[in-house]
Amino acid sequence: MSHLSALPVLVPFLAGPLLVAVGFFAPRWFDDSLATLAALAVTTLCVLLAVHAAPHPYAYWMGGWRPQHGVAIGISLSIDVTGAGLAAFAGVLVTAALVYSLRYFDAIEGLFHGLMLLFMAGMVGFALTGDLFNLVVFFEVMSAAAFALTAYRIEERAPIQGALNFAITNSIAGYAMFIAVGLLYARTGALNMAQIGAALSSHHADPLVIVAMTLLFLGFLTKAAAVPLHFWLADAHAVAPVPVCVLFSGVMVELGVYAVARLYWVVFAGPLAPHAAAVRAIFVGLGVVTALLGAAMCFLQRHIKRLLAFSTISHVGMLLCGVALLSGQGLSGVAVYVVGHGLTKAALFMCAGVLLHRFATIDEYELHGRGREVPVVGGLMAVGALLLAGIPPFTTFMGKSLLEAASSALPGYGWLIAVYIVVSAMTGGAVLRVAGRVFLGWGPAEGPHPEQARAAQERVDEERGPRGHTPVLMVLVPALLLVGVLVLGLIPGAVPGTERYVHQFVAHGNYPAWVLHGARVALPHVAPSHISAEDYAYGAISAVGAVLAAGLGLFGRPLRESLPARLRRSGQNAVGVVRGLHNGHIGDYIAWWSAGVSLIGGICLIALH
Amino acid sequence: MTRRVRLGLFLVAGAGLAVVLLLGFGGLPSFGHAHELDGAVVNLDEPTLRHATDVVTALNFDLRAFDTLGEEFILFASVTGVALLLRTLRQEEEEDQEITPGIEDHRFAGASDGVKLTSLLLIPLLIAFGAYLVFHGQLTPGGGFQGGVVLAAGPIAVLLAGRYLSMKRIAPKRLLEVSDALGAAAYGLIGLGGLIFTGVYLEDPLPLGVSGQLLSAGMMPLNSIAVGLEVTGAFLLTWTQFFDQTLVGPPSGS
Repeated sequence: MSHLSALPVLVPFLAGPLLVAVGFFAPRWFDDSLATLAALAVTTLCVLLAVHAAPHPYAYWMGGWRPQHGVAIGISLSIDVTGAGLAAFAGVLVTAALVYSLRYFDAIEGLFHGLMLLFMAGMVGFALTGDLFNLVVFFEVMSAAAFALTAYRIEERAPIQGALNFAITNSIAGYAMFIAVGLLYARTGALNMAQIGAALSSHHADPLVIVAMTLLFLGFLTKAAAVPLHFWLADAHAVAPVPVCVLFSGVMVELGVYAVARLYWVVFAGPLAPHAAAVRAIFVGLGVVTALLGAAMCFLQRHIKRLLAFSTISHVGMLLCGVALLSGQGLSGVAVYVVGHGLTKAALFMCAGVLLHRFATIDEYELHGRGREVPVVGGLMAVGALLLAGIPPFTTFMGKSLLEAASSALPGYGWLIAVYIVVSAMTGGAVLRVAGRVFLGWGPAEGPHPEQARAAQERVDEERGPRGHTPVLMVLVPALLLVGVLVLGLIPGAVPGTERYVHQFVAHGNYPAWVLHGARVALPHVAPSHISAEDYAYGAISAVGAVLAAGLGLFGRPLRESLPARLRRSGQNAVGVVRGLHNGHIGDYIAWWSAGVSLIGGICLIALH
Repeated sequence: MTRRVRLGLFLVAGAGLAVVLLLGFGGLPSFGHAHELDGAVVNLDEPTLRHATDVVTALNFDLRAFDTLGEEFILFASVTGVALLLRTLRQEEEEDQEITPGIEDHRFAGASDGVKLTSLLLIPLLIAFGAYLVFHGQLTPGGGFQGGVVLAAGPIAVLLAGRYLSMKRIAPKRLLEVSDALGAAAYGLIGLGGLIFTGVYLEDPLPLGVSGQLLSAGMMPLNSIAVGLEVTGAFLLTWTQFFDQTLVGPPSGS
């Protein structure tokens, strides 16, 4: 079975060029079926690899260049259940996005399908590789395809601008990471993550290691859209075609968080062990800021794709908190939550896609009450909103409960539970508000900032405007994804199993043993976390909070107007300032990026030395 | 943010970033004291175990062949992206049809006879040199990436000679797309040969030959050709896409 290890990357690398080469004469059904089959094959292969790695993880050495005396000179895929599982999850979402696109728009000469497959190859390689340089290479594969897919609708200006902001910000992040790879290579003479980790583990963290860590973490957190490196994300999501947004929010952003977790436990956990408390404080802080700013911005949007994008930023903040707790339980919560959130968010973007396809706009107020034509989609959106809010007892709730348990297990971090509740309630509430206004016609039909309505107009196809029908597939696919969220977390053994594999992931002492020496490392025994009555209470509070927030958004205008004028004005000013920061100006974004990196780099240098 | 605020923020942040980076760079080994483990291994292994005399190519196509696969596809994805973004919209297609019949060749006709003659003389030289670089990848400095760029310069010389439409006839878009895609896929397929015949992806199943001969070092010559094919197609495709935007179509003034 391990013979097949390279195929999940290779299959899309072969099918992608084929689609591009024959695209100009191949019929549409050929593109669709080849791309979907390739995506399905990759998903299956990744599942097989995860099953194969379940008893003990293993390394696959490209070209047969096995390490000699523990020294790796070749490139390895270091395959464990967490990495292969994440790759399989990416495969599932790519498959879903391709099936959804069958009836969504007129794809162009195989280029769309080809780029989607290259994007998938980048994500899968990223999740499987065990080599630091190779990780950055696959980051770039992913990026190159993602930039082009963002700018897909070239007949308008906005997609080009959104894609440029995305490309420039992420390329700078790429440079930062290459500098960090150079630093670590100069120090250790190694590129394999296991070997770098082994070489660093016997030393203290000095400025070189700390700077390398900061650049790598913040580089990947640029992809993950942590504040203040996040500005590109909303711009890119607002303009990218819906099937592409599904992948951005559903898995690409989460891969950034995955890379941070992998690098921490494999490379930096050794030298930074004496400073774990400081690392935790710094990155939990970053996560909280991201979670709260994202939630606030999410609630302020009327452009539905932007709203969903900010909700992704907010949930990434939660995930970052979970990783930064630096505990196996926290990371288990992250793993479960990534699946629950990814499927939910993918389904919500697909619902937004139905609205775009049908009405050629994605503005909440323009669509007031018009959604009554497609009530099923409204139902899906409401279910998605409640799942986003972490309603018990489904997958997102399971993940959130683990995060809560991990937070209260650490002295001084119990307050994070309040952050999770606020994030869940506000993002879920914002989506519920949209569902109420669009599908039920609740609340006023005119909202603040009417000038934003124009930016929300979008044609799915170059030549076609609004359409009078909705293909069944475009409703079926998001419905299936939501069923996944409802069911997966409740499968007996799913969550405890995830916990065991994640505890294997965080056992950083074992990693070099199985990667460099081929040792068979057994799966650790972990007592499964229990979901307590408190967790159900927190889940209920989040869900009720979401309903209340939605109600406030729909019917709260009289309440807001009854506030004292001064309070109202200062509130509006604060909102105006935060909004004004997200102005689409790439110069601003880079200034903020530099400020964020120098600030966090400075704090790390002072606190961890 | 106003221009001034932005500049101020960036100056402060950039200075901070520079300090952070310099503190990190302070930990680098001093000049001449780099870790030489990898270098020693590569210098030792590649000529003896793989019969390659150009160690840089050997590193790219053997030890780090999987990185090269990824890099090939960064290039391929970028070029496919360019093709996607610079595609002709249906609306533009109609506009083009009104204008194209008037164009005999292109608007880059201002070159002097000297430039035209030199360009024509350069064409065979560029192609010969590019092919040399591609075919001698494992022997002397060069290889598919470098040779591909030189090969792509050949048709560009046709453009410099004042014949853009001739260049497009020699290297039509479809052909370039196919060569780009074929080269990228071929590299992956060569590695698959390793999986089928030795059981490990990217492992070398071919006889290694005699060091220094044209056909030596196993798969490396094939890899070099695949990369050369892709790079030639990729560069020409990108250039012609951009030329199409500026040289053909309505004059920029109207």
